[in-house]
Amino acid sequence: MIMTGRMEHFDEDLDLRGSPKLSAGLSALFEPQHPVPPEVDRAVLDRAHNHFVHRKSAKGGRRFRWAAVWKVAAAAAVVIFAFSLDLTKKSGPATDRSVPAGTQAADIDLNGRVDILDAFKLARQIESAGPAGESLSLREQGWDINGDGLVNRDDVDMVAFAAVRLDKGVL
Amino acid sequence: MKKITVIILISVAVLVPVLAQQSERDYPTEQPKVRFAPLHVYLDSGGNALAAFQLELKGTAGQVKIVGVEGGSHEAFSKTPPYYDPAALANDRIIIAAFSTQRNLPKGRTRIATLHLQILGDAQPQYELKLIVAADANGKEIPARISFEKGE
Repeated sequence: MIMTGRMEHFDEDLDLRGSPKLSAGLSALFEPQHPVPPEVDRAVLDRAHNHFVHRKSAKGGRRFRWAAVWKVAAAAAVVIFAFSLDLTKKSGPATDRSVPAGTQAADIDLNGRVDILDAFKLARQIESAGPAGESLSLREQGWDINGDGLVNRDDVDMVAFAAVRLDKGVL
Repeated sequence: MKKITVIILISVAVLVPVLAQQSERDYPTEQPKVRFAPLHVYLDSGGNALAAFQLELKGTAGQVKIVGVEGGSHEAFSKTPPYYDPAALANDRIIIAAFSTQRNLPKGRTRIATLHLQILGDAQPQYELKLIVAADANGKEIPARISFEKGE
């Protein structure tokens, strides 16, 4: 038999269909002996479905665990970063002694600056006015620096502290 | 693989600062020498009675921290501590002021305050002292000379 090279390797024209008789014979040979009831079919399908659902949820759980690990890692990184910045250092004590009416109110002698002489003048005025004069005449002059309705040693202290505040920048 | 990467990252993030601190402890840097010394401030008001004063002191050389302020030697300025901004503590600059309304007031040279200082290192600290105002019993400004003495 003479064959071309092409025919040797690729027998494209070969008819692969068997005869109808052969097909029927093979079908009969591999056909199940007993037909599978629909309940069994359904049970198999249900099991398969359950199996895949479990696999899916297990995969989701694993993803959740990974998310938790990343969250913990991120939190640890933030804590370490905070410690590296040394945020635990406490800032100094608050030193803001505010003068409610501003430095203008503390300028008792009206010379344009607040110094200890303002406090001294106020203290002398309070002493010369006596206890009865605490409220009225001195308050009328606007020397109730802390606004408590009285002109007394507290107001003197407030003026003195305004005089020694560092943020005045005297030197 | 991912799990191993995460474990390695967390381990590195935790261990590096711990090891860094450990190495700092193992090789401590040399601490500067610390000593404490008082600085006495004097005011000479001449023949005038001194009723009020205000001054400013600043460290100009060396590492100095003010750690305490004490009143003067005369009873007019020793009963209550002078006024100062608490922010001056642990700082090298302070404004101090005091007054007295009592009749017995100091004249001539008198110690008006003592500052307690923390000095770091061996360098000799230098100070700049400025009298802002001094006044007599009437609140009138008077000329005065201010000076300081370093104590031990």
